[in-house]
Amino acid sequence: MRRFLLTPLFLIAATVTSNAQGLCAPIADRCERHITAQYIPDGQFYRALLQGDEVAEFDMTLFGGSTYRVAACSGDSDGLLLFSVFDKDRNLLFTNKEHSSAPYWDLAITNTLDVTVEASLDPSKAGSGCAVMLVGFKK
Amino acid sequence: MALPSSIHPAFTIGLVLALAACGGPETPTDTATDATLATDTATSETQLLQVGGKVFSIPSPVQSAYAIRKAGLKYQQNVTAPLDKGETMTSKSSQAMLLGMLGADMAYVTVHKDGQRALATLQAIEKLGGKLELSNAFDRALLERFKSNLSSEDSLLRFSGTAFRAADQYLKDNDRNDVSSLVLIGGWVESLHLTLADPAGFKDQALMDRVGEQRKAVNDLLELMSAVVTDESAAPVLKGLKELQASFSGITSTYAFEKPVTDVAQRTTFINSKSSVTISADQLADIAAKVSAIRSMILA
Repeated sequence: MRRFLLTPLFLIAATVTSNAQGLCAPIADRCERHITAQYIPDGQFYRALLQGDEVAEFDMTLFGGSTYRVAACSGDSDGLLLFSVFDKDRNLLFTNKEHSSAPYWDLAITNTLDVTVEASLDPSKAGSGCAVMLVGFKK
Repeated sequence: MALPSSIHPAFTIGLVLALAACGGPETPTDTATDATLATDTATSETQLLQVGGKVFSIPSPVQSAYAIRKAGLKYQQNVTAPLDKGETMTSKSSQAMLLGMLGADMAYVTVHKDGQRALATLQAIEKLGGKLELSNAFDRALLERFKSNLSSEDSLLRFSGTAFRAADQYLKDNDRNDVSSLVLIGGWVESLHLTLADPAGFKDQALMDRVGEQRKAVNDLLELMSAVVTDESAAPVLKGLKELQASFSGITSTYAFEKPVTDVAQRTTFINSKSSVTISADQLADIAAKVSAIRSMILA
């Protein structure tokens, strides 16, 4: 019985893993190009699978004196992912909705602050997909 | 057999499908629909490094290394982790945390222009990466690129940042969120250790503020570790982090929002909000002692 149960378990787990990989990997490769040579990658990979109006939240601390490049990608072209940056009091600091869904933006930080980046699919362009966010910084 | 908690949703689907195959109601269309929906749920729960719907970001060790250099502290190669430690470690949790530590050390030695030590550290990372089945990220090609750019600090930092990101992606793609989290924890602990290793640094306000600004990071790491790390051998580190969290909780901070200014042509928003942290000498000494204790546990 256990073998019978575990077989579908691993098949499903493998399928799910393969689907997520297949969906997110090319997006990550494309998104990587936005973190240009001036920026040092932060060494982390952020992603979320979104459906409909789901919102992914990415919590970050941005250190004063640094400029961060945030790249946010989904689907097979730029401009499918909307992202907004809020401070801990929910004040809006930036949203790419006001900038033609720009796939990347630089945030120059004067004083250290904790932020939440919220990402969602542009409902007029995509119904579901993998949201990838990459971050780089310069001194 | 205890299954990792992250497998449970997939296990549930397996159970549902197995029970259906064992003679459940014959409603093939409904079953197919249910399976599809359940797979979506499993995907969102098992494939993403999310806790309570959030994805956490831990400050990059490279930024700590820059802060240490900016403070003008003396470079001390002997405060980095021993490069041969990975050869004797048997627990995957310890290996993962050591990998993160070596990543932080590499940033530290690189920004202090110790190219030979950086290369030796990368070689240790490559060996350890092999043990953790991360050879795709830390491979010979990376070593070769590293060797031919030893004099370019920015290139080395970019190579290592890209390699660690590739490793993180690989781990998340393969549902090894526990290992991914432990690498982050090791890197963060080592960064704090390096920041606090020289008592002269305690007099540098900007550097000590940087320590105080890590309060959210320790909360996030604990939440992450509690959610995805099930290996008993990591329990002492979890306990140590909880004690460290208690030390950080006494730090006070202020924040005042100011309207950001955007330069559309440069695709840049200047975030000018004001913030400050207040951290006492006693709190710093307490944090330094607890970081040292956690580091010793990892290297034990």
